[in-house]
Amino acid sequence: MEKVGIVGYNQVKLYSDANYGRYEMIFEAVRGALDSAGLKKKDITTVVSATNDYYDGRTISNALTVEPGGGYLADESKVEMDGAHAVLYGLMRILSGNHKLAVVWGGSMASSFPYHTARLYETDPIWERPLAYVNDITSAGFQMRAYMEKFGVSAEDIAKIAVKNRKNAAKNQLALVEAQNPNLTVKDVLESEIYADPVTELMVAQPCDGVAALLLAPEKQALKITDNPVWVIGVGYNQETYYLGERDLSSSKSMELASKMAFNAAGVKNPLSEIDVAELFEAYAHEELILSEAIGFTEKGKGASLSSEIGGDMPINPSGGALGGNPPCATGLIRIIEAVKQLRGEANGYQVKGAEKAIASGQIGLCAQNNILYVLEGGN
Amino acid sequence: MNEKVIVANKGLIRADFNFWVGRYLDKFYDNLENKKIVGNTCPKCGDVFVPPRKICGKCNEVIPLEENWVDLPETGILINYTITPYKVNDRAFRKVKKPQTIGMIQIDGSNTALIYRLLNLEPDNIKLGMKLKVEWEENTKGDPSDIRGFMKI
Repeated sequence: MEKVGIVGYNQVKLYSDANYGRYEMIFEAVRGALDSAGLKKKDITTVVSATNDYYDGRTISNALTVEPGGGYLADESKVEMDGAHAVLYGLMRILSGNHKLAVVWGGSMASSFPYHTARLYETDPIWERPLAYVNDITSAGFQMRAYMEKFGVSAEDIAKIAVKNRKNAAKNQLALVEAQNPNLTVKDVLESEIYADPVTELMVAQPCDGVAALLLAPEKQALKITDNPVWVIGVGYNQETYYLGERDLSSSKSMELASKMAFNAAGVKNPLSEIDVAELFEAYAHEELILSEAIGFTEKGKGASLSSEIGGDMPINPSGGALGGNPPCATGLIRIIEAVKQLRGEANGYQVKGAEKAIASGQIGLCAQNNILYVLEGGN
Repeated sequence: MNEKVIVANKGLIRADFNFWVGRYLDKFYDNLENKKIVGNTCPKCGDVFVPPRKICGKCNEVIPLEENWVDLPETGILINYTITPYKVNDRAFRKVKKPQTIGMIQIDGSNTALIYRLLNLEPDNIKLGMKLKVEWEENTKGDPSDIRGFMKI
């Protein structure tokens, strides 16, 4: 794959209720990304955003984001998915050879709408929606139970992931305050409120307010902009069927195929030894295990045996991951930004030493129906 | 932090949609009204879908409307479940009085699972693989609510 460079990024601090305007937040993210690369509005040649009309409470939600997102009288388009999918679109724009700088941003304000009800509206309107049994939370209950039953994994093993990520989030200043807890225990997680048994409150990545932005440039341009670019050396994406009753929820076939595609492009043969750090979009603690197994870090059902803390065999979500805050449409983009920080040595407080190759993932849909995985390499 | 100013705290949008059920689900709902469960079979892979599908995603085949229907029993096995104290269809994510148990039930002779409430089952008595039976609403209307839930046999 021809090299595309990530030349700048920015993420706003995550809040459960930011109490400031969505457009200010978008401006802060995008302008901050430009500033980080020493670039200006005139340098932007294309803008791709990730928002969701339903989450934003208006149709064509990108219509009002033209000015703050840098799309004023510019080539501008939108992806109604996770920010990580907007990066794919941005990547294609750059690879088309027509663009020198792509701004990719994504985000929303979960404080302004009933998020879990909105997820019910994602279900089939003529079959599941009228019954109102399926939303993000109940489907996560099915997913966690399927995983535990199939492989004999304990709730404790899954709670440990929530503890690790929330402890990691405590070192990340941009994480959600409510998610940061350096003293959390497995017992706390298991005894927190039941959302959809066996999923408890502290296993859920809390929806919140936030926006993130990333800058992409073709190789030559990237080298002109920065001495410290991060290269996208592989990407893979895949989607499973929608109906939960048709899927094997104990594993992630879509991530298995997405990672195969990404690793093929990047020439990665043994992910566990060649990748130094992973930032995975785990909407629930158990998804981190399911996704890391699908990627091939361990056999299926053995994810909990991997030492995934900072300094472990395969650090996963040193930033705290989505459990450190889950702003819809920004979360996957933030995983990419966190991987970039690791490769540039800019992950203050949670840096993985000597990270040269990283992966980052995004997802969308009930029980991570659709997954996208990036392989990134540091420039220097 | 400044005082929070909300310009429109009830940004309610009302838009009534009329979703077309389609001929396949129409037939399924007609059968529900008569307290019967039907599915259809992919002509290529043989998978039996409940509710019926027009297209088998795996084979990328249209399942003909006039053929491939299968009469199915009102029994099945429990393949997954979750128990939630929350009301799923609620803007404020409020709790219900008694947690509801929601199960994935594979109707005998089918390859997919339905998602319905499990009725009169205490959490301690729920076991994956257990046999269940449809509990019908007394007055059926030809829609998904005709199945009140599933009970232990």
